[in-house]
Amino acid sequence: MRRLALLAAVALLGVPAAAQVSNAHAQVLASTARPLLARDGEDAARFRGSLVFFNYCVTCHGPNADGSGRAARLYDPKPANLRASDKNEQYMRMIIRNGGKAMARSEFMPPWGEELTDEQIRDVVAYLRSINHRSN
Amino acid sequence: MRPFPSLLATVMAVVAVLPTQAAEYVVNQKGKSFSQRKLVVQAGDTVRFVNDDPFNHNVFSLSDAKSFDLGSYGQGLAKTVVMDKPGAVEVECAVHPDMRLDIEVKK
Repeated sequence: MRRLALLAAVALLGVPAAAQVSNAHAQVLASTARPLLARDGEDAARFRGSLVFFNYCVTCHGPNADGSGRAARLYDPKPANLRASDKNEQYMRMIIRNGGKAMARSEFMPPWGEELTDEQIRDVVAYLRSINHRSN
Repeated sequence: MRPFPSLLATVMAVVAVLPTQAAEYVVNQKGKSFSQRKLVVQAGDTVRFVNDDPFNHNVFSLSDAKSFDLGSYGQGLAKTVVMDKPGAVEVECAVHPDMRLDIEVKK
C-alpha cells in the first residue's frame, strides 16, 4: 500500500519532481567535476611539490635545496644548488623527467619520468621556483 | 726423512695465506624491493644488483664501509660492487626511497 501511495504521489507531482531530482543530480556532478579544493591553487601546487621534493630529491639536493644532501659527498661536481638555479621551468621539467645524462649534465641525476607523474613534476618545479633566490 | 716435514710445512703455510675464492651474490630488484632485506658476505665478495623491474633503479650506499652509486639502469641490466672492507653497508635506491638492503661484510 505504501509503495502504491508513493507511486501515486510521484505521478501527481509529475515533471517538476523529476526535474528537481535531475537538477540536484546535476549540481552534484558539477561540483564533483570542478571541486573547489585547495589543490587548484598555486600555493597548493607548491605544497604538493615540497612533499615530492622531500621524498625524492632531498637525498642529493638537501633539505635547503642547495645541493648539500647527505649523498652529495659521492659526487663531483656536487648536486645543483636549486635555490640559485638560472634554469627556466621547461628546462627543469625536462631534466627531472629525462635525467641529467640526457641533458648533458650529471649522469647521477636519475630520470624521474617513470616514477613521478606529470603533475608531480609540475608541482616540484612550482615549489623550486617559489624558493629560488633569483625568481623572488 | 728430514726434508719431507719441512716441505709439508711450507706447503701448508702457503695454502694458509692464499686468499679464498671470492663469491658473487645476486640481489634482484623487483616490485620496488630488493630480493632480500639482509645479506652476509665476506670481504672481497661481489654483490650483483639485477634490475627485474620494467623501470629504472639507482642503487647507492653512503656507508663508511662502502660508498657507491651505480647510477640509473633499466630492466634486465645488472651492476656489481665489490665489498672490499668489513663493516655494515646500507644499500638504498635513489628513485625508490622505501627500498633498503643491509649487507654485513665480514672479515
